[in-house]
Amino acid sequence: MPEVQSINQNLWPDALPNFRNLGATLRIVLWVNGIALFAAIVQSASVAEIVQRFIDGSAFIQPVLLSSLLLLYGLKDILARLIYWQGAASVIFLVVVTTLIIAYFGGDLFASSQGNASFYVWRNALLSGAMAVLILAYFRLRAMSLSTALHRARLQALQARIRPHFLFNSINAVLSIVRADPKQAESALEDMADLFRMAMTDTRKMVMLSHEIALSRQYLALEKLRLGERLTESWQIDTSLNDALVPPLMLQPLLENAVYHGIEPLEKGGIIDIKLFKKGQDIHLEIKNPCHAHRGKHNGHKMALENIRERLALQFDVEAKYTVECGEDFYHVHIQMPYIKEERHEQR
Amino acid sequence: MNSVNLPLAVYIVDDESPARHRIKELLSDCQLQLPLELIGEASNGIDALEQLSTLNADVVLVDIRMPQMDGIELAQHLNKLEKPPVIIFTTAFDNYAIQAFEQHAVDYLLKPIRLGRLFEALTRARAAVPIRSEILQELTPEARKNLSIQERGKIILIPIEKILYLRAELKYITVRTEEREYLAEEPLGSLEKEFAARFIRIHRNCLVAKDEIESFEKTGDDGAETHWTVKLKGLDEKLPISRRQQYIVKEFKKY
Repeated sequence: MPEVQSINQNLWPDALPNFRNLGATLRIVLWVNGIALFAAIVQSASVAEIVQRFIDGSAFIQPVLLSSLLLLYGLKDILARLIYWQGAASVIFLVVVTTLIIAYFGGDLFASSQGNASFYVWRNALLSGAMAVLILAYFRLRAMSLSTALHRARLQALQARIRPHFLFNSINAVLSIVRADPKQAESALEDMADLFRMAMTDTRKMVMLSHEIALSRQYLALEKLRLGERLTESWQIDTSLNDALVPPLMLQPLLENAVYHGIEPLEKGGIIDIKLFKKGQDIHLEIKNPCHAHRGKHNGHKMALENIRERLALQFDVEAKYTVECGEDFYHVHIQMPYIKEERHEQR
Repeated sequence: MNSVNLPLAVYIVDDESPARHRIKELLSDCQLQLPLELIGEASNGIDALEQLSTLNADVVLVDIRMPQMDGIELAQHLNKLEKPPVIIFTTAFDNYAIQAFEQHAVDYLLKPIRLGRLFEALTRARAAVPIRSEILQELTPEARKNLSIQERGKIILIPIEKILYLRAELKYITVRTEEREYLAEEPLGSLEKEFAARFIRIHRNCLVAKDEIESFEKTGDDGAETHWTVKLKGLDEKLPISRRQQYIVKEFKKY
């Protein structure tokens, strides 16, 4: 099987947040500071006091927050190997210990002017533990709500990924060559089987980019069978991407869109331009196709695109970018996502 | 029909050549039991119209989804022929069209086409009458891209975006483009509905293309009897706006 065991960030909802994902980190920072601000507001009697209390609090919160995040970043792989509740308990434990250590070494720096110093140390440990629980709960809820979206997406996915229009037309095209060229008909049916197998697999598992490309070529071969010379393709693939992992069925549905909305309505057809390259730590995928100048956008278009957008958001949060440019007579999709190598999860 | 003993003349229109090839194979399978003759094929509606004005087809198998001109529009133009053929639509998948076909009891074949279904449809076609134009129009949510008129046995297509105005005159409709005038036979009301995106009614008997309006002018200085006229781009003629439709002057001035 070309599929590779899923990497940690792709298992929902029973998984810790990916502490190396920019989006997850950002969410944690925002939540912690938001709650700190809220606490400051509750305690204060004036705006000036809110600011003062927030700054006082920050002096202790930020070091704890940042060192916890660093620690979790480093231990991400180990944590992710644990069962969910063990992982969650470890995260809470780590946060509490970090708090205690910082309080211990920070010493007088954080000691309040009045009151019992050791009370403050334990109070802070309790509060940061509670904060960790809250944030883990938040991530779990978020993953759960997104996973229903995922189920919905999967339900409509078959339709979005393999259009009935394509299915029946392809079967028809295969039928048309059965008598004249049984060999070609056989290989066309094999291509179709591969496409459908792929469409029915678990979309949460990352696959080899090279496999995605092979599948897309099979798809285009099928479309060429019925569209003939009207369909031309041009591939530009960066060889450094050979070992890259990508979410499955990202490329093929985009090509299907390009064929259905771009090439088919054009009598003379046209070229689909596919570019895959690496820039910095990101994979870039660009698909450009001509389209009919007077055509309005169809709903099917949006459905397939929505599905891909949703899956990218689930997988990469803010680390993936997705842009569409709809010109007078061309259509251009650009996807940017983190470059992830096969086997190891050293993506950053 | 008086040609019961002649073979059924069949014509195929489909943009995909394997699809045409498949139908040809099936037709030759049918030939064993049903006298028929394939008289031609085309990959688009324009070529089909051209050829079918001289060929006399009994049945035309028309794919619905085609570039340039979809199958339903082609059928509407074919209806203008002196002896309109019976149309059998073919489609791989088209929810909207299929629902509409069922509703209006219009014959269609799903691709991949079964030999039995094709045979039945062709057998029925001998006795069938062409689908009425009003029904064809209801089969699609999309407006035609051309109007068609018959002139000396030929079908002439007038692209909608070339039409400046449509004016009802007694039995006919004058279709005005920058170059010339044509006479068409279609009710103005249904044209107004179908092409609402392009035309606006300025008078009980006249629709003008919104994008072609150059200016509005007031004519007739004798007090209460002044009225507005429309001047269209590329035409000297000024078309009167009826009192009831005068609000459009104000609406356009906003832009």
